Amino acid sequence: MSTPPKETIQKQIQQDWANREYIEVITGSIKKITDFLNSFDMSCRSRLATLNEKLTSLERKIDYLEACVTKGETLT
Amino acid sequence: MSVSEKVSLSDALSNVDVLDELTLPDEQPCIEAAPCSILYQANFDTNFEDRNGFVTGIAKYIEEATVHANLNELLEEGNAHAVMLYTWRCCSRAIPQPRSNEQPDRVHIYERTVQVLAPEVDKLLQFMYFQRKAIERFCGEVRRLCHAEKRRDFVSEAYLLTLGKFVNMFAVLDELKNMKSSVKNDYSTYRRAAQFLKVMSDSQSLQESQNLSMFLATQNKIRDTVKDALEKINGYEDLLADVVNICVHMFETKMYLTPSEKHMLVKVMGFGLFLMDSEVCNINRLDQKKKIRLDRIDRIFKNLEVVPLFGDMQIAPFNYIKRSKHYDPSKWPLSSSPTPLSPQADLMVHLPQIREEHQNYISELARYSNEVTTTFKEAGSDAENKAVTELCLRGLQLLSSWCSVLTELCSWKLLHPTDHASNPRCPPDAEEYERATRYNYTSEEKFAMIEVIAMIKGLQVLMARMETVFADAARRGVFAELQDFVQLVLREPLRKAIKNKKDLIRSIIVSVRETCGDWARGCEPQQDPALRGKKDGEASFTIKVPRRNVGPSSTQLYMVRTQLEALISDKSGGRRTLRKDLDAGTLTQIEMFHRQSFYWSYLLNLSDSLQKCCDLSQLWYREFYLEMTMGRKVNKCMVRHQHNEECNDLVTMEKRIQFPIEMSMPWILTDHILRTKEPAMMEYVLYPLDLYNDSAQYALTVFRKQFLYDEVEAEVNLCFDQFVYKLSEQVYAHYKQLAASMLLDKRYRAECAARGASTGAGAGRYASLLRQRHVALLGRHVDLCALVAQRINSDMHRALDAAVAKFEAGDITGVVELEGLISVNRLCHKLLSRYLTLDDFDAILRESDHGVLAPYGRITLHVFWELNFDFLPNYCYNAATDRFVKCRGIQFGVGVSREKPQQYGHALLWGSKQLSLAYSAQYAQYSGFVGAQHLHALVRLLGYQGVAVVVSELLDVARGLLHGTIAQFTRALAAAMPRHCKLPRYDYGSNGVLGYYHAQLTDIVQYPDARTELFHAFRELGNIILFCMLIEQALSQEEVTDLLHAAPFQNILPRPFAAEGEKPESKQKRLEAKYAALQIVQNVDKYGTAKQGQLSREGDLLTRERLCCGLSLFSVVLRRLRGCLSAPQWPAPPTHTDDTNEFHRLWSALQFLYCIPVGETQFTVEELFGEGLHWAGCTIIALLGQQRRFEALDFCYHILRVQRVDGKDEMVKDIPLKRMVDRIRRFQVLNSQIFGVLARHLAADEERAGVEHVRCFPPPSAPQHAMN
Repeated sequence: MSTPPKETIQKQIQQDWANREYIEVITGSIKKITDFLNSFDMSCRSRLATLNEKLTSLERKIDYLEACVTKGETLT
Repeated sequence: MSVSEKVSLSDALSNVDVLDELTLPDEQPCIEAAPCSILYQANFDTNFEDRNGFVTGIAKYIEEATVHANLNELLEEGNAHAVMLYTWRCCSRAIPQPRSNEQPDRVHIYERTVQVLAPEVDKLLQFMYFQRKAIERFCGEVRRLCHAEKRRDFVSEAYLLTLGKFVNMFAVLDELKNMKSSVKNDYSTYRRAAQFLKVMSDSQSLQESQNLSMFLATQNKIRDTVKDALEKINGYEDLLADVVNICVHMFETKMYLTPSEKHMLVKVMGFGLFLMDSEVCNINRLDQKKKIRLDRIDRIFKNLEVVPLFGDMQIAPFNYIKRSKHYDPSKWPLSSSPTPLSPQADLMVHLPQIREEHQNYISELARYSNEVTTTFKEAGSDAENKAVTELCLRGLQLLSSWCSVLTELCSWKLLHPTDHASNPRCPPDAEEYERATRYNYTSEEKFAMIEVIAMIKGLQVLMARMETVFADAARRGVFAELQDFVQLVLREPLRKAIKNKKDLIRSIIVSVRETCGDWARGCEPQQDPALRGKKDGEASFTIKVPRRNVGPSSTQLYMVRTQLEALISDKSGGRRTLRKDLDAGTLTQIEMFHRQSFYWSYLLNLSDSLQKCCDLSQLWYREFYLEMTMGRKVNKCMVRHQHNEECNDLVTMEKRIQFPIEMSMPWILTDHILRTKEPAMMEYVLYPLDLYNDSAQYALTVFRKQFLYDEVEAEVNLCFDQFVYKLSEQVYAHYKQLAASMLLDKRYRAECAARGASTGAGAGRYASLLRQRHVALLGRHVDLCALVAQRINSDMHRALDAAVAKFEAGDITGVVELEGLISVNRLCHKLLSRYLTLDDFDAILRESDHGVLAPYGRITLHVFWELNFDFLPNYCYNAATDRFVKCRGIQFGVGVSREKPQQYGHALLWGSKQLSLAYSAQYAQYSGFVGAQHLHALVRLLGYQGVAVVVSELLDVARGLLHGTIAQFTRALAAAMPRHCKLPRYDYGSNGVLGYYHAQLTDIVQYPDARTELFHAFRELGNIILFCMLIEQALSQEEVTDLLHAAPFQNILPRPFAAEGEKPESKQKRLEAKYAALQIVQNVDKYGTAKQGQLSREGDLLTRERLCCGLSLFSVVLRRLRGCLSAPQWPAPPTHTDDTNEFHRLWSALQFLYCIPVGETQFTVEELFGEGLHWAGCTIIALLGQQRRFEALDFCYHILRVQRVDGKDEMVKDIPLKRMVDRIRRFQVLNSQIFGVLARHLAADEERAGVEHVRCFPPPSAPQHAMN
């Protein structure tokens, strides 16, 4: 294999630097997206948990009220 | 956006940047390790695949790169085999063995055995081949490098390190093979089956099988083979000495990052020295020749007595030395003496420093993190990037050092288990693993471990949050440093080399520059005077070095570092070293660069490095100990047969595949916090649990074994349940104690504390734990808050249930304590509601009271039950104290049997033992009587509805009495009354009158049942009447309190004081204006909807009108009682003054009876019956409208009147007249009081009824005067 001229190799290596920088930028962005998704996940979980809690509490209240109301029906 | 639409790169990138600006609030405080659902790690390590791209590099190093690539692959394969061995679980134990040769299905069993074990055995075969190949390859490399020609040549650091890694791999594989007896057992099972079936027919496979069998059975086989093979190579010890030296150098200059790398260096030193020491070579002599430095190694071995080998296996590297041929203890003064203890055994000595490091680093990081989040810039300056990179590296090094302190402690502890003698808590028959973990740590050590784990995991979270910033800065910083160095720093040495015609140096420098130069114009500026060996002229030549956001590739970095190392190395194959041709300044610069660039690979792979530096997964793994114990000794006969005495002496092995959680480090630590309830540690409690995440991650990604993951998961399930159970119990108990001590009187509490009973609740830091809505565990997210809330909710129910049950088990006086318990629970509920969503307290109370489905609850029922069966029959009223008390010493009715009280934990009642004592002492004061306090408590607990129920039930009882017992007795006694009984004249004297009445009433006086039955019936009726009256009083007082509380909100203000000359009206107006904001109705009308306005008006009306309509409970009671006093039981007799048919005559007779004084020793009427008796009699008289007649015609009153006149005192038929008269006087006063009260209520009632019973008598007319 004949060695290509020095300038070509240097150009290629520079090209390699550029390519790898591009890859790094993309990778970094994917990492950012991942981070975003993770914190989105956390935030959603926290909010859903709060919502779930409210619904559960309402459900229990309804159960209780239903029991109270049924009492009236069975007694009269 | 449609798919076909093109997005430019810059748009895409700015879209990503915009993501940062979205606010994603997560309201929970971060007290757990980094939770991540998605893990993204990019790996750009090419393992030298791209080496051919760098043709401009020196060929020798490109070749070396090829060798490296191969060796790395072998290392990886070796690691896979190590994992295979470590995670090997015995299969043969599960395989049935044919019992005899006659067993018919034995062929089938053997066939299946071979089928099952064949793939496993294949792995072992591959392992044997691999170790052969690896040893061969390793020795080949050593031989090549030790060749006489090459020996003096420079061997790069990376190369030596790789050889060191090989040495380490051999040590690990050898120890694993020695340790795993199950591998051998499995193989022999397979071999037996295979031989029986004649699977291996050809001689070659038979031979292989024999080889494998020998290989597995021979201890230290790999080690010995390596040693034997090496000893045949001439001069191998020098190369190994280089390997050991580079390890010592790297260890001492901290050129490593992860804990496993650090431990690898130490293991290589030990195993390397062991390999060197042989017949031909003596390490002590090498030491003398200064080829190795044993004193330095000695110090290292002392500081690190035990290093982790693989998983939970550890090794003392010094043992290799001890086993070597020329071991001389005098050369190893530190390591060979058992004292002092290695610093690795004591975490406490490291703790203060770790704390300080943590504190300093965290504050620095926080400062920087604030800067990053508040200011936005594209890219920092070079100096900034460099500073951030250093910060990041320092963080990684800190994490790694803390991690290694922990793992080293655990390793040391595993190798030095405790026993019963040194730790009395450890039972004598404790298991091996238990002795190594469960009983091997003191409480302080456990706390210290938890703290260090928390610091590691906490800092990991912080660093992971800034990872993109760090990575960005690291890439930019590394690029700038590399390019500046290559393009600027290396210019001067290059110029000198060209000028001085040092061709080798020139070619190396040129090669470095060409391998990684990123020139601004695409290639090296040809006009650079340095390239021609000239200094910069006056027209100064400048090179503009570009900046990029990327680091060198792994091969590039290797090439640059190795080639520079060649420049500065002091070895160079016999020729004079290149160092000599470089000037000192350049050398220092190159050395600096070389040293700093060592860490670049870690920084460029930040995410991976961060994870590896914080990996504590090995705290859970215990394959080594499982293999060692293979089960547990039990004193139990495991054979199925009729057990006899001999069976008691049998000790068998119970098969067991895992240790219980009590011996598992993560749970030991978690449980330690929960057990000690140490408030300072409470917020760390989730960190030890995170160790399971590490272990599971390791099982999935490194071990790649499903069964390990399953075991971790099973343990987590168990532990987490326990955790939630214990935590919620603690939280509940804590808040209960808090509530109870808040309600306890302050001075009383101080008194208790002075006597050594602490009634205060300790500090508890549960707030942030209770706000955890997503705890990450094995990829699941658990809503801890909801789980705890659920449990505490049910605790709340149980506590109120317990309160009611406690009341039900006691008498009516317990009502005050019940109210106290309910209010403590109410406060506890209020305190907890700040953090948790619990059911409405009143709803819980009603549910526990069973008052949701039934019209009245358990409390009401029990109150009535107690009133009916205990209170009415047994209590007497005493107006002086306004209390009902039991008659001293006499039980009237049959004993009351109640349900046995159930035993409840302190947490359900008052919170703690001390508080229970304090409160029971307090409430003991309320037992034994029923007074105003009880009635108030009753009223508050029962409410209108309950009171109404109780009163109406009591009225039924009263009707029963009036129509039953009392009516009967009245009729019977009326028959015994004399037909006529006149008021005797004063002339007879009081003694005569008394004698007369005594004679007249002799039948009544001697009536036997009067005192035993009749008076009790009257007392009970009186009790009912009194109870109804008093409960109404209590009710009214409560209502008044309510009204007064409500008054300011209803625009009812107290009349202001007006000085002279002031108008009260205007002052009143001003006050009203001042408190206008409080007035509910007006405000709701103003700001609320129409419906809300209506509701508030109705509520207001309800509050305001409660008393004003003037309903009186007692009046109603009296009216109802009057209704009972009618025919047929109470026929109205014809009225005649002297007739004795009327009730008041009968009552006079009874009054005569109870006015007769009794002897000293006898019970008085007051003691026995209280004032209920008089109330009953007077009420009946008043309701029958006979009050005036009674007062006029009563026998006793007559005696009194006569005695007043004559003032006699003598004994009449054994009755002391004066004393009798005194009694009469007292009862007369009492009676008139009673009549007064009754009259007031009856009058009020009649007034309300609108009927005026005032008979109008015309003034007496005198006809004779009228005539005039």
